[in-house]
Amino acid sequence: MNRRGGERDGEVKIGVLCSRVRVEEKLLFAALEERGVDYDRIDAQALAFDLGSNGLSQYDAVLVRCLSHSQAYYLTRWLDGLGVPTVSSHQAIAVCGDKLLTSAALQKAGVPIPRTMVAFTPETALEAIEEIGYPAVLKPLHGSWGRLLARVSDRYAAEAILEHKTTLGGYQHSIFYIQEYVEKPGRDIRSFVVGDETVAAIYRNSTHWITNTARGGEASNCPITPEIDRISRAAAQAVGGGAVAIDIFEAPDGRLLVSEVNHTPEFRNSIAPTGVDIPGKIIDYVLEVAAMKTGR
Amino acid sequence: MRQVIFNLNGAQPKDYDVVLVRCLSHSQALYAARILQEKGVRTVNSYETIATCGDKILTTLALIERRVPTPRTIIAFGRESALAAVEEMGYPVVLKPPVGSWGRLMGKLNDREAAEALMEHKEALDKSQDVPFYIQDYIHKPGRDIRTLVVGDETVYAVYRRSAHWITNTARGGHTSSLPVTPEIDRLSRAAARAVGGDIVAVDILEDPDGSLLVNEVNHTPEFHGAMQATETNIASRMVDYILKIAS
Repeated sequence: MNRRGGERDGEVKIGVLCSRVRVEEKLLFAALEERGVDYDRIDAQALAFDLGSNGLSQYDAVLVRCLSHSQAYYLTRWLDGLGVPTVSSHQAIAVCGDKLLTSAALQKAGVPIPRTMVAFTPETALEAIEEIGYPAVLKPLHGSWGRLLARVSDRYAAEAILEHKTTLGGYQHSIFYIQEYVEKPGRDIRSFVVGDETVAAIYRNSTHWITNTARGGEASNCPITPEIDRISRAAAQAVGGGAVAIDIFEAPDGRLLVSEVNHTPEFRNSIAPTGVDIPGKIIDYVLEVAAMKTGR
Repeated sequence: MRQVIFNLNGAQPKDYDVVLVRCLSHSQALYAARILQEKGVRTVNSYETIATCGDKILTTLALIERRVPTPRTIIAFGRESALAAVEEMGYPVVLKPPVGSWGRLMGKLNDREAAEALMEHKEALDKSQDVPFYIQDYIHKPGRDIRTLVVGDETVYAVYRRSAHWITNTARGGHTSSLPVTPEIDRLSRAAARAVGGDIVAVDILEDPDGSLLVNEVNHTPEFHGAMQATETNIASRMVDYILKIAS
């Protein structure tokens, strides 16, 4: 653990859990240092965690920036039991890390989502696809950066993808998560919710149907309309809150549909177009969470 | 399960009062219970119990947090930190996949060479490189372990599973015989069941050489045909009675 930042008595102590330091983490460290916060960088990869110990209970709050979902998932579960608040919370990480749990949580909270079905065999998956109609989208329950998403436009494509998923095998390819394809206008919306505030939103423009900026989608500012604000905050609240990013589709009939929620968002490409200090907003929120714990 | 399609949109009629989950596949059991729960259907076991028992890390944390004795456990996310944890714990140690059953892919490691080789194989197996190492103190048990069944708040039976192999799972050839439910076994079994969320679970208990009992694992969809013969108890009917009680 590297100790950095100022160490003033009576101040809160923040842990930042991460493995690889990307641009985002550097910006977050800079925001912590600017505010003179006492913090440690905790390298999850380099440590071993004795589950019976009080390991990281010296922190007033832990900001989770692990690239690995399982690191984020298990370590927040452990910290939860020790009474250390995390951003995002274990609940949000558990829900956002799993598309089925995300859809169920959004649906329950009344947040509009694309039509979604779940099947457990290739045969019933094909039935569900035909029921939803082409084009349909198949997604792995876990995973990010748009990996292994498949848009199938006809039965032959569906059969080929289902066969490949079955051959891939393993835990997550035996559950088929099928969604209607939303004809979006060459872009989707990604909004950032920190605490109970929609702090920024971007359009992700792309000629590819997968508009992820990590896959070459281009970002431009998206004005936060009251509707975008409402749906973003509702989605964030539905999954358990924290510092999250919401992926929103604009359906041809004008409705907004929430596609996914990300618990550890990348934001490097969203700062310049929106002019919003996203890392600063995140750190201020982490300090708020820590202050709530210590009662200061 | 092979015939069902779940529609996640909109409210749907509740067809059943209670659904008993007996899927062999953990992921199917988990997601079916979750979807049914969202629709307001009570499942046995509950989503919470299935999620906790199906993952050894979550089980261990639930046991520790409820102060149920369990072997010392360390998790690590890198091969080097895992190896350091193994050396610190001292050989022999047990390495288990966090998700899995029937004693598959478990390893008892007696020295550093075995630890290095097994960890390399685990990393090669896990293509996504995102499965933590689950490292547990090896308990020198007397050639057997204890399995109990808890239904609701009652310990229905206890059996010994004997085996010359360190993995005493009956699915791997362990021999089963009945054993009286002592007050200590009863207390420990019910505490473990409560810790993971309750309903119908099997509790695996290890006898430490110092005489103490440690809960090793809790199983959410127990196989019980062997125990049914050994204990001469109609286990299936006990389970069904419990489900009917919940339904009414």
